[in-house]
Amino acid sequence: MADYDRRQGGRGGGGYNRKRRYRDDDESDHRPQRRRYNEPPLHVRIRKQLLTLAESPLRRWHEEIQTTAHLVADNYDKEEVKSNFLELVPQIVVEQPLKTPFVAAVVLVANSMQPDVATDVLARIAPLTEEKIKLGEWRDVKLYLKLLACLQSCLEGDGLFPVLEELFNRAVELQTSNSDDTIGTELVKIILLTIPYIMAAGSNQGQQKAADLMDKTDVIASEPHALQVLIDPHHAEKGEESPTANSSLIGLLQKQLQNEALNGWELKCLPRPWQMPLEEIELQEKMENAQKHPLPAITVPEAVVTGPRALFPEVYMSVYANQEVESVPPVSSVAASLIRDGLLDTINIMDFNRNVTARYLIDVDCYFADGTFVKRATPFDRLRDIDGGRSTWKPEDVAVDAVFSQLFQLPSPEHKLVYYHSVLTEACKLAPAAIAPSLGRAIRYAYHNTHQLDLELGYRFLDWFTHHLSNFGFMWKWTEWADDVELPDIHPCKAFIIGALDKEIRLSFAQRIKGTLPPQYQVLIGPEKEQDTPDFKYNNEHTPFSAEGKELAQLLKKKGPDEEIQPVIARIHAAALEQSIDPLVSSTDVFMTAICWVGSKSLSHVLACIERTKDRLLDVGAASEAARLQIITSVISYWSAQPGVAVVIIEKLLNYSIVTPGAVIDWALVSGKAGPGGEALSKSWVFELVLNTVVKVTSRVRQVLASGVADGAAETEVAAMRDLFKSMDDALTSWAEGSKDQMMDPAEPMDGLGGKRAELVQRWGERWLRVFRRRSAIEEAHMLAAKPSSD
Amino acid sequence: MRGGFRNTVERLDRPSAYYLNRNNKKSRRNDRNNRDEKDGDTEMANNQQSEEAPDDPLRNATTLYVGNLSFYTTEEQVYDLFSKCGEIKRLIMGLDRFNKTPCGFCFVEYYTHQDALDCLKYVGGTKLDERIIRTDLDPGFEEGRQYGRGKSGGQVRDEYRDDFDEGRGGLGRAIQQTERLREAEKNRDGEQEMREDYGRLR
Repeated sequence: MADYDRRQGGRGGGGYNRKRRYRDDDESDHRPQRRRYNEPPLHVRIRKQLLTLAESPLRRWHEEIQTTAHLVADNYDKEEVKSNFLELVPQIVVEQPLKTPFVAAVVLVANSMQPDVATDVLARIAPLTEEKIKLGEWRDVKLYLKLLACLQSCLEGDGLFPVLEELFNRAVELQTSNSDDTIGTELVKIILLTIPYIMAAGSNQGQQKAADLMDKTDVIASEPHALQVLIDPHHAEKGEESPTANSSLIGLLQKQLQNEALNGWELKCLPRPWQMPLEEIELQEKMENAQKHPLPAITVPEAVVTGPRALFPEVYMSVYANQEVESVPPVSSVAASLIRDGLLDTINIMDFNRNVTARYLIDVDCYFADGTFVKRATPFDRLRDIDGGRSTWKPEDVAVDAVFSQLFQLPSPEHKLVYYHSVLTEACKLAPAAIAPSLGRAIRYAYHNTHQLDLELGYRFLDWFTHHLSNFGFMWKWTEWADDVELPDIHPCKAFIIGALDKEIRLSFAQRIKGTLPPQYQVLIGPEKEQDTPDFKYNNEHTPFSAEGKELAQLLKKKGPDEEIQPVIARIHAAALEQSIDPLVSSTDVFMTAICWVGSKSLSHVLACIERTKDRLLDVGAASEAARLQIITSVISYWSAQPGVAVVIIEKLLNYSIVTPGAVIDWALVSGKAGPGGEALSKSWVFELVLNTVVKVTSRVRQVLASGVADGAAETEVAAMRDLFKSMDDALTSWAEGSKDQMMDPAEPMDGLGGKRAELVQRWGERWLRVFRRRSAIEEAHMLAAKPSSD
Repeated sequence: MRGGFRNTVERLDRPSAYYLNRNNKKSRRNDRNNRDEKDGDTEMANNQQSEEAPDDPLRNATTLYVGNLSFYTTEEQVYDLFSKCGEIKRLIMGLDRFNKTPCGFCFVEYYTHQDALDCLKYVGGTKLDERIIRTDLDPGFEEGRQYGRGKSGGQVRDEYRDDFDEGRGGLGRAIQQTERLREAEKNRDGEQEMREDYGRLR
């Protein structure tokens, strides 16, 4: 109603309440005049009814559909009703696609009373579909086709099939000319996801057509795509197979549909709101005998395009795979694909209102057939007791699974990761008792599989997990992983725990987090983490250059000019030369550490201090490789207890070009300064530092390419990026292959790992390598795709 | 996206009623007072969704006003959360005008408008340091706006707040002030009574 009230204000109001003003019962109405309820005009009522279709858990689909259809059909001669309806229908379909079957049912019922409704809807949808095909906006294409598929029963002849066949022809052309093609894959996905809706629309004569089409799609769908290994969320260890190796989305769909075909297209999960209950037999007959319409032409251009979003083949993943009782549809069931597809569209379209998205997740059972799910909030342990044949699928698990599939989508999901975080947060707020246990099982899955999860996804999981906990009082049952605290730091599970605690502290503070942890974990948060500002090592008389350190700090504090700084630096240089150590490295350590200490009060302080001294820092950074590395070393060792702060400072130093991306990579992966003997690779903040740096470089390149200025700047940037990836590849390959000298470090810690240590480090190397090879490949692909348009 | 087009559900990346309301008033008052910070007392009622002017100052806004922070929330914490929507260009903590200590709000500036919108959608209304924070699109930081406008130096909303909010210095400062006075009064009365009592005893 808010919808309507607000608009009314804008129009000056009062226009529609004339009737009520004179009604008797108003005499006793003490509400203030402007609060009066006004009967909204018809088109507004229709809008509201259409928008709330199927939302109620009471599931009165048929009543809702009939009243809405009646309102539309009976008033279709009113211009306002007609135009609003014809505008809203295509919009609901692309904004709230779980409601499409219900909107279609309204059109079908209305068609039995007023055939113009269906004629006009078709005339509206067909050109929209055509336009979206032209633009390559494939999701919208899919969503319009879904509506048309649901309307199949009122279409003449073969209805939608010829359009799908035409789309398939394009897919074949694309795939035969290029095996890396992704548009053809996308087209086949759309075709396969549309067929079930045609079949559920109840046309019995479609079976042969569907079978013919699926015979054709088989070639493309069953062949694993060349890019699939790149985007598999799992990264199996040597000699093992990824759990999702055979889970190409279209491959699964093809098999699932073939199964359905064998079972006479039962499609049990799909709602069929156009099938009226027995007592409505008259209406049903009327609908069956209603006028059929030709589908207006939808032309598919000879050359189809990728569209605004890069396309990749998709892999179906579930965090609830292999449970003792099925709490989500198995990959053999078409329900897995259809429900996931509906949810993913909803999630990704509704990013502008996460509360609505969360509502949809909680209400997912409203939009599918009766009996598809168990009752909401049924505890997992109870699923075991559900007897023969009935569904054990938990709506919460299905919903959470869909969000996780996006968090774990490679190369990247449609929106920023934090959106998916926020959706889970809201869902958890709406129905904590139902959602929280499902999240718990998802977390356990990711934790126990962290060793074979793609490393980038492992990091995403860490980031989500800690962000999520920060919204719920940092409560987690840490006790169940308490044994893992004993593991060596380099073990994936222990590395996760260390990384998670650090991230939690960053969003909160050490003491608070310490208070949420069981005793076994207390050792992980030492006193240095509880200290607001780390000590200044030069305050200790025994530190070499202690006097100079203190002096520089004083100068920086009182914002002394560079002329006063220079003599102190010169003194360090002279002393260093005497001790035959690198003078610039020595002075850089003192200078940078002093900056960190003087700026330790807050990021603003340190940034202001860097801003004041940036000329000197730029000179130092430009002077030598060793000095550049020392800048990074000084920052990170000063903030070693709170690496998050260091990461931000380094990011800013990169912006000033005081340090280079190459130096960061070198520092992290080669120098051994981030941790001895390959230990650096297990630290989540090192991954964060490197990933941020690489993202900075790649987005810069994309920006330059997009600007299309041909001044050679692009070539230089691209070359630099390639160099960076090359040097990462070299460094990581030697870790992955175990050929790194440091690996044989005789001083390796006595953590009882023995020979396993080398194995673990190698595995980290492999995981790192996969992430950055993929990133490199994706940038190359992007440049290839961007080229024709910039020429 | 702005203007004529209307989604089937409300969008979260629009300026708040507070902003619209203020701006309506501002234009009516001929923009006398530029120096302001938000979260003051507003009459949310009577808010009219104005037709957005063609020179909408928020059209390319990259800055967000962030409210309802704890006084103890640090820049680093804000950085950590808000970086999830994109790199932060600048962060300005709101300070008590007199003490120069954080007083519960800040401005976050991104490099792009899209990052700011995403932040409204994904971070506004979630928790930081265990408090639900508020975000609002802002036309841009100007020197002076980092200080609280309340009488005692903090934000206006912290003057008369009658709930005890530990993260924001307990009760509203004006209320604390009157309570202190009353307390002092009582003590004086008490002393008098005591004296009288003593007198009686004597």
